[in-house]
Amino acid sequence: MEQLTFEPSQAFSIGVEIELQIVNTRDYNLTRGAPDLLARLERIKLPGAVKPEIAQSMIELNSGVNANYATLLGQLRGMRDAVVEQVERLNLAVCGGGTHPFQQWSDQRIYPAERFNYVSDLYGYLAKQFTVFGLHIHVGCASGDDAIYLTHALSRYIPHFIALSASSPFYQGVDTSFDSSRLNAVNAFPLSGCMPSVHTWAQFNEYFARMYSYKIVASTKDFYWDIRPKPEYGTVEIRVCDTPLNVEKASALAAYAQALAHRLMAERPALPPDSYALYNYNRFQACRFGMNGYILDPSTKTHVTMTSDIAATLEQLAPHADAVDARTALSQLSEDVATARNDTAWLRERYRETKSFTDVVHAQVGRWKQ
Amino acid sequence: MAAALDFAFLPDFPLPLNALALFGALLLSGLVGGALARRVRLPAITGYLAVGMLLGQTGLGLLTSELLVQARVFVDISLGLILFELGRRLDFNWLRKDRALLYSGISESVLSFILVYVTLYYLDVPKLIAAVAAAIGISTSPAVIMLIAQEQRAEGQVTERALSLVAINSVLAFIVVTVLLAVLHFEYQASVVTVLLHPLYLLAGSLLLGTVAWYAALRLGAWLGKREERQFVMLIGLIIVTVGCATLLKLTVLLALLVFGLLVKNRDPQRVLLPVEIGAKGELLFIVLFVVTGAELDARYLLVGGAIGLAYIGARFAGKILGVMPWALMSGLSGEKAALLGLALTPMAEFAVAMVQDVWGLYPGLDPQAFAALVSAVIVLEIIGPLVVQYTLVRAGETGVKEPD
Repeated sequence: MEQLTFEPSQAFSIGVEIELQIVNTRDYNLTRGAPDLLARLERIKLPGAVKPEIAQSMIELNSGVNANYATLLGQLRGMRDAVVEQVERLNLAVCGGGTHPFQQWSDQRIYPAERFNYVSDLYGYLAKQFTVFGLHIHVGCASGDDAIYLTHALSRYIPHFIALSASSPFYQGVDTSFDSSRLNAVNAFPLSGCMPSVHTWAQFNEYFARMYSYKIVASTKDFYWDIRPKPEYGTVEIRVCDTPLNVEKASALAAYAQALAHRLMAERPALPPDSYALYNYNRFQACRFGMNGYILDPSTKTHVTMTSDIAATLEQLAPHADAVDARTALSQLSEDVATARNDTAWLRERYRETKSFTDVVHAQVGRWKQ
Repeated sequence: MAAALDFAFLPDFPLPLNALALFGALLLSGLVGGALARRVRLPAITGYLAVGMLLGQTGLGLLTSELLVQARVFVDISLGLILFELGRRLDFNWLRKDRALLYSGISESVLSFILVYVTLYYLDVPKLIAAVAAAIGISTSPAVIMLIAQEQRAEGQVTERALSLVAINSVLAFIVVTVLLAVLHFEYQASVVTVLLHPLYLLAGSLLLGTVAWYAALRLGAWLGKREERQFVMLIGLIIVTVGCATLLKLTVLLALLVFGLLVKNRDPQRVLLPVEIGAKGELLFIVLFVVTGAELDARYLLVGGAIGLAYIGARFAGKILGVMPWALMSGLSGEKAALLGLALTPMAEFAVAMVQDVWGLYPGLDPQAFAALVSAVIVLEIIGPLVVQYTLVRAGETGVKEPD
């Protein structure tokens, strides 16, 4: 097989993929609206791209490549408004959130496309259970080696992304007690987890070639890692975020990744030798408790609260935020940290208020439109 | 002296079927018919109808009309459930966001009326009769579309739009038929007061009854709280009471229940009422509905319906498709889906038979040939309707059935 080539991109450029739920306006359950919606969207011009996803009740918004938070947000707002307008003409609705609160996974239908059929055949019911909705953040890298370094270095901050974005407390009609229950659906896949210990693009290529020769993977798409290099785009892709309830939060999280990347590339801190030993513990804390979780700091080996760890990081990022125009975005995240609130907190409040999952989704739809 | 043998504790023979035994028998026979139909991938409804026809006046004659009167209560309840559900499917918000949907509902109703009327007129059917027949043809069967969509677990634009169009054409058909009946009364020398007051009473009374039911649902629902089981029982209770009141007050079940459903869907600003599923739980009643409908069909009319019946079907069909297509294209449906949407409106309403019989019952002197033609058209559409709807939903790719039974 051929070597994977890393197509370099503008360092610290950002882009996102947002998986959205398509629901009906009757009981706000997921509905197989993607084929009709995509047919309609084909006829209009959008600032980004809209694509099918594995289930027919999902669509994915892809932003273009953006230099900073402001342009990314502008683009996402444009896409959101266009999609909302089309969706309403079909009497459907779209919303954010990492899971649908009460859908039954067995009701889902796989979107008829070669790749999705392949995934469905291979993974069986896991594919349908994977009807969960994530935000994928791409950060541009000048070289493959940079991408590999960043993939490792960003892993320290994965719990932050989980806690800040968490929006999936409810799954299959129950409160899971998790802030992000969505990631539990990812864990079941054999190729989930983290990139192994490779440190250059050449080593990554060797690893990939080996896995390819064992016929375990056909492309880098088959690695369901939390963070992975994406050679076609020339980016590092962070995949742990739940889809936030609005585009403002999605853009702010992308800006956070951007500022972190800027700092890591500027300072190039050495990676602690056993950093991955604590990875799963910290990730669990973030999924289960969100902003109220604890992190075991890999360098100091002390427990710190999630909020204080994120707040400290935001402070360190200040000069880098200026360099990439991410100040507004980071101050928005600071507010979330100060109140220890994420979208999951908002969703639980809606449920306490309305006592109905249908009404929760109705509120999510309203929040997405705002 | 030994007492004479007394067998008074035994029932009288032959056994007259009571309502309970009848309901059970209809249910079981329908079940068998439905299961057989599903084995050959036909809609279960087709099986219910076939069993009904087999047992009814067309076939073995076991289900006589005297017997069927006893089943009336179940039929009325199931129609009530279906019309309420249909009302809940018409979303005013959608009609506002996509005006083309509203216009397609009006245009297919008007066009199918005009085409049928003109066709019958040219076939020498008297004007007023032609108009009544055309008006009855405006409506599509809510039960067939709703139950096939449910059986196929269909979701998508063809399914949702078809349900909205059926709600619109049911209301329009009802209004036009009511007005035409008034004119018919007038032709037959009823007093002017009757002619004016009767349709007014029917329309206003049914609207008011539906509104009262909606108001009761909101108040009671708010008091009961958001508990699905409770709200389900409440809605079923209100639906049955409304059906009963409509019958008592000689209003129309159709309009009252549609209005009830419409208001529940569109006028609940506090979101008091949960969207409890009624269709799937009504399956028992719907089986009986279709077995009875089948039993009431008299297939002998097919032989005498002849050319007029066929012309009627053709004209109605053309009106539906041509009336829907241009607007559906404007709404962004593909050409194929637009045509399928028009096609989905084929089944004629089960109450069309009743409407026809009512009219001819009032005025037995009316043209018997037109009557036969109309009944034969209803029968044909009743039989092919479920098949056509199943075809459209499968073809549109909107079914969610995983594996056939």
